Amino acid sequence: MADVAGSPGILTQIRAVAGLRWRILCNGLRKESHRLHLLGLIVVGILAGVFVLGLCFAFFAGAYSFLSQGRPAWMGLLFWGIFLFWQLFPIFAAGFGTSFEFRTMLRFPLNPTAFYIIGLAYGLADLSALASVCWLVSMTVAVASAQPGLLPAMLFVVVLFSLLNVTLERLVGSWLERLLSRRRTRELFFAFFILAMVSLNLINPLVNRYGPVLRPLALRIAPYFAWFPPSLAGRALAAAAQAHFGGLVLCLAGLLLYAAVFSLFLWRRFAAQYRGEELAETAAPGPVAVRPIARTQDTPDRLSALSPQVAAVVRKEFRYLTRNSFSFFTLILPPALVLIFSAQFSGNHSPLAERPISPEMLFPGIMAYLVLILMGPAYNCFAFEGQGIQTYFMAPLRFRDVFLGKNLMLLLVLAVEMGLSLVTLAWRLGLPSPPVFIATLAAIVFAVVGQLSIANWSSVNFPRKLEFGQMRGRRQSGMAVLIAFGAQLVFGGISAVVVFTGRWTQNHWFPAEAFALLAVAAVGGYFASLDALSRVAEAKKETLIEALCR
Amino acid sequence: MPEIAIRTQKLSRKFGNLTAVDSIDLQVAAGQFFGFLGPNGAGKSTTIKMLTGLLAPTSGSMELVGLDFAAHPLEVKRQIGVVPEGMGLLDRLTGSEYLQFVGRMYGLDRATTQRRANELLDFMHLADRPKTLIADYSHGMQKKLALAAAVIHGPRILFLDEPFEGVDALAAGALKALLGRMTERGTTIFLTSHVLEIVERLCSHVGIIHKGRLVAQGSLEQLRAGISGEVGGKTTLEEVFLSIVGQDGTERPRLEELSWLM
Repeated sequence: MADVAGSPGILTQIRAVAGLRWRILCNGLRKESHRLHLLGLIVVGILAGVFVLGLCFAFFAGAYSFLSQGRPAWMGLLFWGIFLFWQLFPIFAAGFGTSFEFRTMLRFPLNPTAFYIIGLAYGLADLSALASVCWLVSMTVAVASAQPGLLPAMLFVVVLFSLLNVTLERLVGSWLERLLSRRRTRELFFAFFILAMVSLNLINPLVNRYGPVLRPLALRIAPYFAWFPPSLAGRALAAAAQAHFGGLVLCLAGLLLYAAVFSLFLWRRFAAQYRGEELAETAAPGPVAVRPIARTQDTPDRLSALSPQVAAVVRKEFRYLTRNSFSFFTLILPPALVLIFSAQFSGNHSPLAERPISPEMLFPGIMAYLVLILMGPAYNCFAFEGQGIQTYFMAPLRFRDVFLGKNLMLLLVLAVEMGLSLVTLAWRLGLPSPPVFIATLAAIVFAVVGQLSIANWSSVNFPRKLEFGQMRGRRQSGMAVLIAFGAQLVFGGISAVVVFTGRWTQNHWFPAEAFALLAVAAVGGYFASLDALSRVAEAKKETLIEALCR
Repeated sequence: MPEIAIRTQKLSRKFGNLTAVDSIDLQVAAGQFFGFLGPNGAGKSTTIKMLTGLLAPTSGSMELVGLDFAAHPLEVKRQIGVVPEGMGLLDRLTGSEYLQFVGRMYGLDRATTQRRANELLDFMHLADRPKTLIADYSHGMQKKLALAAAVIHGPRILFLDEPFEGVDALAAGALKALLGRMTERGTTIFLTSHVLEIVERLCSHVGIIHKGRLVAQGSLEQLRAGISGEVGGKTTLEEVFLSIVGQDGTERPRLEELSWLM
């Protein structure tokens, strides 16, 4: 009969989970082959430390100031700040977190209570929770300094506020995990998330236009926010400051009620997970349909001008683009941004309508911005290949065909995007003069094609696997980002020199001529680089396969 | 003298200080169903990766279908098909799209690619979900698709890394029949599997790699005779394998060390 171990205590298990998180972090660092990435992490760590500490002082100063000026109810504003950070930051920062699924703990002998407590403790180890607790401590110290008599009430408020926040954060995380368990939902969510972030840019034009209508509405809604946890926390302190015991108890009871309700919901979510909730990635198989026998296509091949290999890569890239919400989103983003920017500078409600910007400046500026954002993915162009990268090395083809196919697809996307943006700009602001227009087009060819050679080299040397529509772990290789940044700086610098030379010599056509020459050189350099890059890819195939098949 | 499909000479691969494959001299005749066996970490996958162009050897040479791989990589690749470790699928394509992609990558014309893709999908019972992405296929379906992609261009040598893992018995039977027919028509099949019964049933010849070195090579009868000392004996491949790989006594786990489990 085998020996069976006795049940471990909850504290032992929490210690084990904490140790596990620490090991995951350390091992993650050990795997990084690029020291620059480690350097990046240290810089981010220092910046995060400065951010948290800086805000500690700010929260201390804010709390101290409100209390010494006799406005304890305004403490609610500080609680709102912490509340929003605690709940929203984990969603924003998901891409930078270490990938670890808490549910995997379920294979160990945990009872539901232990699972729940470990889940909460796990939530407290997040950066958002740690930072928020630091700020709450600063506020508590401020309360102890400004009005020591409020300290007991503050401690009650802080404990309840922390409890409800960590519970709510875990609850939202758990719901999100369930919501995002299916690939398609995940991709759609991610696209909507980015769109929501971008549409923040619309706030200014909307407020300019609809501000007078929205203001009374906002004033009518504001009182209802008094019953939200951060306002309750502020009101509890205000009641304590005025020795209004009933008000204090009511507000604390409100916070307790929130904590209890969130805990109940979280308990139900964790209980469902504990029972073995199905979060399968693969959809349940549907009934098998009788498939009509596919016939050989007689339609002419639209890509017959290309070699079969290049055409195959172009087709594959197109399919990947249309199936990847994140990449597909890049099709919507640029024209949307152009619309947003042009809305800032034109129209009856624009604050800049009196000083309209000239298309002579805006057109090249926006095109440069589009090149900047659309070229980014090219520096890690094998990111979504995964295991499929092996196909390119097993098939009888020169790697230049793969580069050609991928670059052609990118150029196609760029052409469509820039065409759409051009139409939008022409509609909103008009077109620039012919010298500027032609110079911009030539500069685009120079910057895009010139960057393609560097981007191909970067993709082969610093590959990083990315998953479709997955927020967690979406990090480009640090070196690829650095190379992209450096290349764009160089191309931007050269373009600036050309433009300023044109202005200095007062020759309007000089930029167009110079950029045309540079574009020809860039195109020649691109084709000359393809064979060399094929050899680099062959030499680096192990790095590529290892990085993408991981 | 039979035509040689695969010949390696002093083929080696090092990863830093570790020699994963150590000077192996393989010889596989055309039309042979060759099983390549070895314990975990013995160097099977490294060898297959070198033979299929996914990994460069540190030293030594490889000749496939009479061509030096280093000198004629594209000509060699045109004549081989591979189901690599991890299958190498582009999982955001449908099965049909993937086969068409692979067919075109091997230079087949569009009509031929489409016809063969349809036939292969039908044969593999993958045709009834034309819009399902490979990412949503089961493991067994992915395996069958990888095999279909490996044969779409009619290769002369087929490399299969654990081809039956996760494939249901029905499909496995059909695949074995297909592979059998292919060898009858002259295709050489180079297969690795941990399931010795499969190798014993399918393969006519076997090579055993252990700690990076090729420790045995020959027909099943030759290997059996080498162990039992008699031709036509009833020694199983498992016994042959264990006696060759476990000769130094370090390979067999000692159960007495796990007394607390029994």
